[in-house]
This record gives sequence, structure tokens and C-alpha cells, in this order.
Amino acid sequence: MADIIRRDPHAEWIARNRLHPLHALIQTNMHGEHARWMGPNGIIRKNPHAALGFSGPNGLRRIDRSGSQQGGAVRRQGEQQASQLLLHRVEEPAFIIAVVPDLIGGRLSSHDRDLLGLARQLAGSSGAVLAVVFGEHRETGFDIAGVDRLLQLSGHEYEGYSPEQRVVALRAIEGQFLPRHWLLPDSRTGGGELGRRFAATLHERPATRVWQVKEGQCIGRAGAGSEDLARPLPKVVLACAECAEPVSEARYEARAVTLADIHSLRVLARIEDMGAVAVDPARVPMAEAEFILSGGNGVQDWDLFHRAAQVLGATEGASRVAVDEGHMPRHRQVGATGTWVTARVYLAVGISGAVQHLQGISACDKVIAINLNPGCDMVKRADLSIVADSNAVLQALIDLVEAYRRGEQREAA
Amino acid sequence: MSDALLDVITLVSVGSHPMSARARRAEQDARAVELGLHLVGDRLTVLHAGNPYEESLRAYLGMGLPALHVLEQPKGADALPVLANYLQEAHVQVVLTGTQAETGEGSGMLPYLLAEALGWPLVVGLADVESVEAGYAQVLQALPRGQRRRLKVRLPFIGSVDNAAPAARQSAFGPARRGEITLEDVEVVDDLLWHEAALQPARPRPKRLKVIKAKTAADRFRAATAKATGEGGQILRDVSPQAGAEAIFKVLCEEGVIR
Amino acid sequence: MLNTLLPILLFTALALAVLGACRRVMLWRQGRPTHVDLLRGLLAMPRRYLVDLHHVVERDRYMSRTHVATAGGFVLAAVLAVLVHGFGLHNRLLGWALLAATACMFIGALFVAKRRRNPPARLSKGPWMRLPKSLLMFSASFFIATLPIAGILPDDFGGWVLAAVLTVGVVWGVSELFFGMTWGGPMKHAFAGALHLAFHRRPERFRTPFNASAARSSGLKALDLGDATAPLGVEKPKDFTWNQLLGFDSCVQCGRCEAMCPAYAAGQPLNPKKLIQDMVIGMAGGTDARYFGSPYPGKPIGEHGGNAHSPIVSFEGKALVDAETLWSCTTCRACVEECPMMIEHVDAIVDMRRHLTLEKGATPNKGAEVLDNLIATDNPNGFNPVNRMNWAADLDLPLMAEKHHADVLFWVGDGAFDMRNQRTLRAFVKVLKAAKVDFAVLGLEERDSGDVARRLGDEATFQQLARRNIGTLSRYRFNRIVTCDPHSFHVLRNEYGALGGTYTVFHHSTFLAELIDAQMLKLGQHPLALQTSGGLTYHDPCYLGRYNGEYEAPRKVLKAIGIEVREMERSGFRARCCGGGGGAPITDIPGVQRIPDMRMADIKTTGVEVVAVGCPQCTAMLEGVVAPRPEVRDIAELVAEVLIESSVAPAKPSATPRRKAEEVL
Repeated sequence: MADIIRRDPHAEWIARNRLHPLHALIQTNMHGEHARWMGPNGIIRKNPHAALGFSGPNGLRRIDRSGSQQGGAVRRQGEQQASQLLLHRVEEPAFIIAVVPDLIGGRLSSHDRDLLGLARQLAGSSGAVLAVVFGEHRETGFDIAGVDRLLQLSGHEYEGYSPEQRVVALRAIEGQFLPRHWLLPDSRTGGGELGRRFAATLHERPATRVWQVKEGQCIGRAGAGSEDLARPLPKVVLACAECAEPVSEARYEARAVTLADIHSLRVLARIEDMGAVAVDPARVPMAEAEFILSGGNGVQDWDLFHRAAQVLGATEGASRVAVDEGHMPRHRQVGATGTWVTARVYLAVGISGAVQHLQGISACDKVIAINLNPGCDMVKRADLSIVADSNAVLQALIDLVEAYRRGEQREAA
Repeated sequence: MSDALLDVITLVSVGSHPMSARARRAEQDARAVELGLHLVGDRLTVLHAGNPYEESLRAYLGMGLPALHVLEQPKGADALPVLANYLQEAHVQVVLTGTQAETGEGSGMLPYLLAEALGWPLVVGLADVESVEAGYAQVLQALPRGQRRRLKVRLPFIGSVDNAAPAARQSAFGPARRGEITLEDVEVVDDLLWHEAALQPARPRPKRLKVIKAKTAADRFRAATAKATGEGGQILRDVSPQAGAEAIFKVLCEEGVIR
Repeated sequence: MLNTLLPILLFTALALAVLGACRRVMLWRQGRPTHVDLLRGLLAMPRRYLVDLHHVVERDRYMSRTHVATAGGFVLAAVLAVLVHGFGLHNRLLGWALLAATACMFIGALFVAKRRRNPPARLSKGPWMRLPKSLLMFSASFFIATLPIAGILPDDFGGWVLAAVLTVGVVWGVSELFFGMTWGGPMKHAFAGALHLAFHRRPERFRTPFNASAARSSGLKALDLGDATAPLGVEKPKDFTWNQLLGFDSCVQCGRCEAMCPAYAAGQPLNPKKLIQDMVIGMAGGTDARYFGSPYPGKPIGEHGGNAHSPIVSFEGKALVDAETLWSCTTCRACVEECPMMIEHVDAIVDMRRHLTLEKGATPNKGAEVLDNLIATDNPNGFNPVNRMNWAADLDLPLMAEKHHADVLFWVGDGAFDMRNQRTLRAFVKVLKAAKVDFAVLGLEERDSGDVARRLGDEATFQQLARRNIGTLSRYRFNRIVTCDPHSFHVLRNEYGALGGTYTVFHHSTFLAELIDAQMLKLGQHPLALQTSGGLTYHDPCYLGRYNGEYEAPRKVLKAIGIEVREMERSGFRARCCGGGGGAPITDIPGVQRIPDMRMADIKTTGVEVVAVGCPQCTAMLEGVVAPRPEVRDIAELVAEVLIESSVAPAKPSATPRRKAEEVL
């Protein structure tokens, strides 16, 4: 991103000329640059004449409070502010707080950021937060997430499922950096397992499912969740999401560090990763499925419905009525009286949305409805609704996806 | 199962119902028993360290087990050393456990510490054992969203099962009543954790507030009055099926569920 | 010649019959022992058959009268034939009597033959089609053979040709009617049926003369769980008690149960008649290839078989009966109500379910989950027991734990967790308060009554719940229990007794009727009363009606608020089940259609706008039917709507104007 500010004399001229047809546009574009600046005492100053609104058709100043005009400008400010954040340096850290983020998809998840926030609290001003990253990543914001030191361990031995190799690496880090605390996300996506394996090799009893750390004490959920366990903060901490606020007030170095003897780390794996198993979406348990195509009373052509599910790679679900009618087996029933689902995308075809059904899909992110009745409750719940004949839409969707797949193959070939 | 001589032990604990907190068979442990029964039938050994007179242990017997072995321990004792000792002598190839206890600390560390103490590999999230031969087991590991990963693990190993493992069979009254609970006296080791840690009723976790990072009053005002996103969905009426399908397709692609 | 041949034939047949009888008795004795008062039963048998059973048999008037003629004629003819032809008492008077008896039997047999010309689907075919011919043959042969003795014909009339023909006729007749009776022919029903009535497992069903179905004995019998050696339910046919086996053997395959069974009509794999026949096959050994009635829907005949010592249900392959047959039953008791032989189908089904649940842990579908929930949370849906009284948070209900005694203990039931049923409960509380009834609830101390657990065969959980409830109830003083749930009502009234809890229990409809009779309630006219079209029908809950004989009180209550019930064709003791009983919605065995849909179709034929119910299960099942359909309202709701509360009543001020407005309506 180019941070050099270039002058545009033409634009400046338009900005000065209130009668120019492009005057309003230029005004809003330039607000980000010129409407606010930092005063001598560090207080943000702004020009009230330029900061808000625009000139209406009659030359009157109009203020649009809908927010639509500000969208672009605000984002620009955010980026500006990031670079304006005060840089926090720790040259000679008194101690180290080590964090092993999950980095799902190579980026810091919100869980990771919360954990770094907690690490930051524990590090205070004299300690340093060391983030340990396995394999390649795509994260650019380690600095604003609160990382002082970044240790990246890449190599094919860390690829795939390699918990034993990773534990050995963590032990080497333990030996070299002697962190005061180790923080890992207590997640199903890696941190929970890695942290426990690591703690076991250290013969440590980690604090798990920690949701609060305060004054050297931590509180974590115990048992089945009806009790809390309070104890002094141990060396290894596995913390829940939202255990602390993520860092936002300053920028950190994220200085790269390395491990001294990286080559002696190879271990003979006792667990060999033989790769992911292709799981037929139709056989994924509904409660876990990511994408559910669900049919109800309004589905007329069930063969088409099944074909659509197959082509889309969706797990099939159904409303109670569809199950009662015998179109779908009972274990496919979605709802309070059937299965509670957690799909990210829930595509409801011809389901009007009984209360029990809507309860059952309350954990779904995106709900799409195809229904003939625009007034039904499912349409009210849905993020996207198509009011049309379900058969035609399903058929069109099948055609689209098939065309898309063919296109992909051609590209690949 | 190809290997008729496979010996499996399932470790079980006393669970607690999430609603009533009444003692019951622990959900994940019951799945571990189910997996064990699936592997070796009623040759499965089921082991518990704790109070042998706990009635809810019979719920495991009700799954069709002839007997359940208990290493008798008082509450608050450390189960790890006695279990490790027992397993060391037991000559088994597979040890199955749940992921996490439903009562007490419930840190889920037991399988890890056991594996460390015994020097055995540990597979977490075990969903199925596909084959056992030549000192190795080929197993399926459960990943989130119903996905599976195939692993090859050296025997003997410890496998912990979570809720993705096959559901436990019903516990029946008859076998539960008939089944035998055998006792073994073991040395009691105090769990040091309880010297410094204390259990307390779970407090509801504070909900994270939407923090408005605004330096100025105008920004705060804007953030406070901003319309919540996602309120009311988009409704497409009187569109051609193709247009509707395209809109859906776009969302599916954005969400990354079309693969 | 005939005079020498006939005694030989008769006594041979009788001897064979006695032999067969012994064999049959041995078959029954394979069953487990049970205490039966043999002598008293035998002495009571004629009365039970001729008087107590009359009402049930009379429901099929055609067959009832035909049976009187045929069976009465046969019994008389058989006795006289033995005297006259067997012992050679050629008395003219006896001859005439025998002629009259055979003539009577012949006429009856003609009607039997007529019924068999075009038999309804519920009747079994096969050997049963032969029976009228055998009856005709027996009666005609003996009639002709007796003519000389009565002095109507000369002694040597007809010569050897007639004698030969008569011999053939008599051989046919006595084979079918004498030794066929004990060797498994259609006439077996007479022999086994008579003894079944004598040794019935529920002798109390014969308490009420002329109306055995009114003398209700509908509570399931408790298992003795203290005895570790007693079988938990029935695994093999020999695990039934001997008089249960005898009962199965008495089945006359009339198919009245089949015609009434809601599961059979819905195409679920259950046919009560076939089930009883399968038990007979299991007792005697063999396959169902020689069964000639309607099959279990979707299950061909000839594939199942077994014997007394092998399991009834097999989990690998096929045995006598498939498990889903047993789980299809809604325990609505329609079959038991209809059976002219007083066979106890529901007891048998629950006995077999007990084995599946208690020994095999094989309760299908959501069964295991529901049972686990009952054990852990005292309610079938696994709700937090602490929330049991949330529905009444604002009602300020008096608690037994505080009051210790009250006139009425209001048993809330698990409907407390269901948002729909909470409306009913609140309506009923409103009525109780308006009538100033001295009542209290158990609150959080209440647990599920155990009904579902017991019907699903989990006797252990039932007894645990029941004992705890009995323990709770024993701490308080009350005169009676009132509940809005017929299932709790039935269990508390009829099934807790065996475990030591005897109470006076009222269903809320009965209680409302009593309040109205005592003029404790001021009621207006229901808006439905003023309408000319539409109107209301009433659906009898099985556990209120057939199980406990309460058909009148709900109708009386509806009448008191001015509503004329437009009865369905199947109402009262013939009401069709809603499909919600016996854990059927939990085990959820698929059929061709759903029982509640069929019941709603019954309701729609009356053209009503509202169907009144008195059961949370019925409400849930009927409201689960896809709209458009009549509205489903509980009787308590209908009464609460027209309640005129006196201004003195300490009602909430905000609530009063609304109620006034309703009055105006």
C-alpha cells in the first residue's frame, strides 16, 4: 500500500469550486485526508465544515447520518490508525509468555486473538509475547495482535497431523526460551490436543477451559460444565474463547526469532497421518453437518431434491411433515423434536417454518429459503429467500453447479 | 476384527447429567465401551478407579458386560498412578477412554498423562478402529463437521473418544443387575491438585460486549446508532428460477460450501 | 348297523378328544405357574360366559344370535347324542329333544354358512370356511339318525345306503366337533375359550353382570423385581403364564380386534389377531404358513415361526414376531375392548416389550433416550427438573410442601414442560381458583408418573418413579388427586396400588362435572353454542375412556357450557386412538399413514370447527396434523373461557376487564 500522499491539483481545484458538478464527490473522498488531524496534544482535531455532510442541490449543507457515505472513509481511517498505533518494543524481555495459536486457514482466529490478549496481560510491560507458528501462514497482523516475538517452524515434518513432532518442538522452545507461561487455545481444532500433549510431557497439570485469569488465579470450567475450578495460574494454560479482550491499543514488533538447533528435532512418529477420508455428505451426522439441504411439505419432486443434495454435496434434512409423509427417514428430521443442527448454511426448500423447526436451526449461520409463500416464518428467518417454485429453482441450481464444476475441470485440465 | 487375540480395556468414570447433575454413565465413556464392545465383544475389560458401590456404574454393565473391575479409591484420590500400574501389567493392545470426565476436574488430561506414563501413543477423537495387524492399528479420527482422518498407530495405544464416536447402546436393567463388580484394593495416592484448587458452582460467563473503538464522540454516536447488520433477509420475488438459483449459488460460494 | 357303529364312533371321538385335551393342557402348562382359583373359576364359568360376557358378544348381533342357536344347539345335541346314540337310551322324548337341538343347530349353522359366503376381511379363512359345512353335516346327520328313535321313521329306514351316508356324516361331524375341538381345529375355541373364561388372568373383569367391559381391570400387572430369578418379561412363549397361553389359544379369529386396531389401519406392521395366533404357533411350534387371516401389513405370511422354547423376537433373522410389530402398539386397548373372548392383547405386548427393554436394551428410536431422561431428570424430554413449575411462576400456586394438607392434590404431569399444555394447565387452575377449591400442587417434588416408561417395557424405571412418587405423596394429607392427564390418572389410580399407593383419583373432566353439579362454578354459554354451523366434537382419550370408563363426564361438562357434541362415528368405547399412547410417538414405527391423520379425518367428517380433548398427548398428536384442520381445545380451556368470576374473587385487577369482555361475546 502506497503511503506517499500525492497531490492531485485537479481534484483540489474541484474541491475549491463549489459549483463544479464533481465537487460533492471530491469533498467526501478527501475528508479522510483533510478533515481530521492530530493536534499538538495528541487530540484528534477536525474541520467541522468539511468533516460532515455534503452540499445539496441547492447548495445547502446536508448531513447524511445513515452511515452510507461514511463507509469508505471510516475504513481508510482504520488502516491509517493501525499505522498510527504506538509501537511497543521489548528489547530485553524479563520473561516470555509463549502462545501457540491455532491459525485456522493460516490466519489468526478470534480465539487466537483473545489468547494473545491474555498473553499481553500476563506479559505486562516487561515481558514479551512469543507466538509459535507451525508451517506456513497467511497472517499479516501479528504486530497489531500483540506479538513481540514470532517463531516460525516450517518444514514438511510439521505438515498434516503431526502432534508428536510439534510437542518435541515446543519442548525445545521450552528449553531455549524458558517461558513463564504457555497459552494455548482449548479448541477442538488443534490447540486443545497439542496443549495437553505438551503439558503431559512436562508432567504439568495444565489449567483447562480457562475463562478468566485474574491476579495470579485462574478459573476454568470443570466436569460437565456445572462447576468451575479455581486455582493458581499454572505454567500451561488452555483457555477458552473470550478469555480476555484482544489487543487493540498498541502495535508490537513481531520480531522473528529462531530456534537454535532445529535439526535435532526430528522424532520417529508413532502416529502416521494417512490423510483425510472422503466423507459422503449424506452420511455426515446431521448435527455436525456444515451444509444442509432440507426439504418440507412444499417439495413435490423428491428425486430432484435428492439429486440436488448430491450435486451440491449437501447433507439432507427434512421437516417433520416430510418425515411423517414418509419422504425422508426419521433420523433426518430437523428441529426441536428431531435433531438440533449447527450448519453454516441451511437451505430450506418448501419448509414453512414451524416453531420447533426454527428452534432446531437457531444455531445456523446462513439460512436460505425457497418457498412459494413469502409470508411464511421461514422466509422471515432466512437471510436470503427465493419466492418461486422449488422444482424450477432446484433444477436451475443443479445446472449452475454442474456448469461450474465442468468449468473448473476445464481450468484444471 | 481380523485379530482374534486383541485385548481391549475401556476406562470408565461416573458421569453427571448436565440438567439434573444426577450420577449416570458418562456419555463419552459409554461410547468408549460401545467401541470396545464393537471391537472384541464381551471379552472387553471395563475398568473404573473409584467407589465400587456407586449405583450408576451398573449402567455400564447394562450394556451387556459380564463384569466391571474397580480399583477401589476414595474420592479425591489420584486415579492416574493406579491406572498406569494396572495397565502396565494388563497386556492389552488398546485402551479406550472418554475425552473428558463429567465430574471433578474434567481437564481431559487423564489419557494424555496415562500415555505419557506408559510411553504409549495416544489417538484423540477416535471414531473407529478399521484394522489391527502387525503391531499397528489403522484408525479413523473424528474431526469437526463430521470429517474423518485416517491414522496408523503403533500398538499398544490409548484412544480417547468424543461425541463423534458411535452412540452407546441402551443400558438394560437385566444385565445391569446381573453383572458383577469385582474389587481390587490399591494404594491410595492423594491428588495434589486439591491442595491448591477448589471447585465452585459454575458462574455464568460474562457476555462480551460490543466494544466500540471510537476515539471521538461522533464515531461513538455513529456506532451506537448504526443499524444492526443482518436484520431481515433479502427476499427475491418474481424472479426467474435461474436468477434465484444464481443468488443462492453466490451465497453458497461465499460461504465456501460448494467444493 | 348304525346302532352299533354310532356308539363306537362317538366314544372313539370322545376318547380322542380327551386325549387331545390332555395334550392341549400340556401345551398350556409350558407356561409359567400363576395363582388361579381353579374351582371357583370353573364354577363361575357358565355365568361368566352366559351373563357377564353378553354385552361384548352382543355388539355383533348377527353373530351373537347365530352363536346362541349353533352353540346352544350343539351342546344340547352333543349331550343328547351321547345319551341316545352312545348309551343307546332310545327314549322317544330324548329323541325329540335331540331332533330339536340338531334342528336348532342346523338353523344356526345356516346363518354361519351365510356369513361365510362373502366373509368380511377381518375373518380368517382356511379351515374356518369348512366349519359351517361341518356343523351342517353334524346336525343333519344326527337329525336323520335320530328320526327313527323319535318314532318318525321306521327303524330300518333307508337301509345300508343311508347308514353309510350317515356314517360318513357323523364321522365328519364328530371329527370336527369332538376331537377337532381339542386337536387344534376351529372348534378349539369352544374348549379353550370355556377354560380361559374360567381361569382368566383378570377375574375382576367379570364383576359387572351383562357388561364385562364396564368392570374395568386395565392396570398392567407389576413385575416382581425383588426376585432375581424371575424372568424380566417374556422372551419365549413359555415365559407367559399358563393362563395367558390358554387365553391365546381361545382366540376364535373373528378379527374384531383387527377391525379396531389403529396401528393396523395405519399400515403399521401390527395385527392383534395375527399376534395372538403367532403366540399360539409359538406355544405349539410351527410356522405361520397355516394362518389364513390378514397378515401384519407389509409382512408376508409363511416367513415366521418358532416354538415354546426359542425367543419370540430374533435380532438376527426372523423368529416368531418382529420387534417392530410389538412397538407399533399404542396400547389403546381397542382390541381388548372388542375381544369377545376377553383376550388380553396389551398385557402380552407389554410383557414382550419388557424383555426387549429390560434384557436386550432394544427400545427402538428415541426410546432409549427417553428412558435415560426419565432416570436422570424425571421427565421424558430431559428438561431441567428445576423448571417444572416455571409455567405457574405468576400463579402463586399453593405447594403441598408448605400446606401439608389440602382437599385436592392437583397432579400437574409432564405437560408442565410443554408450552401448549401449559395453556390447559393455566385454564384449569383458573377454574380451580374460581371454584375456591382447596388445592395444592407437589411442585418440584412431582415426577413423571412412569406411564411411558412402563408402556415401553421399562418396569424398573416405572417402579422407581412410582415408589418415589408414592413416598412423596405419603408425606401429605389430601382427599383426592385431580389431574389433566389421563395417563397419569390411570397410573395413579390403577397401577400404583400394587406398589402400595392407593388414592382416589379424578380426571379433570370428572372433577369439573362434579363442580358443575355442586354449582360451584358460574358458567356462561360458550360462543360455539350459539352457532348453527360448525360446532364441536369430542375425542375420547383411550386412557380415560376404555381404560377407566369415563365417557360421560366430559360430555356433561360440554353440555353445561351449552355445547352439543356432534359425535363421531367412532366415539365412546370405540373411539380411535390419537396415536400418542404406549410410547408409540417415541418408538415411531413407520406405517402407510399416520394415526393422528386418520383420527383428524374422523373429526373432519363431522364438519366441526373445534375438537375438544382431555389429554395432553391427544392435544399434541392432533395439533401435529397439518392445517387446515379443526382447532384442538382442552375441556379445561373451553370451561375457563366461559367462566364468570364473582367480583369478590381476589382475581388480578388487570385480568378482570378482559373476562368481562368475554362474557359479552
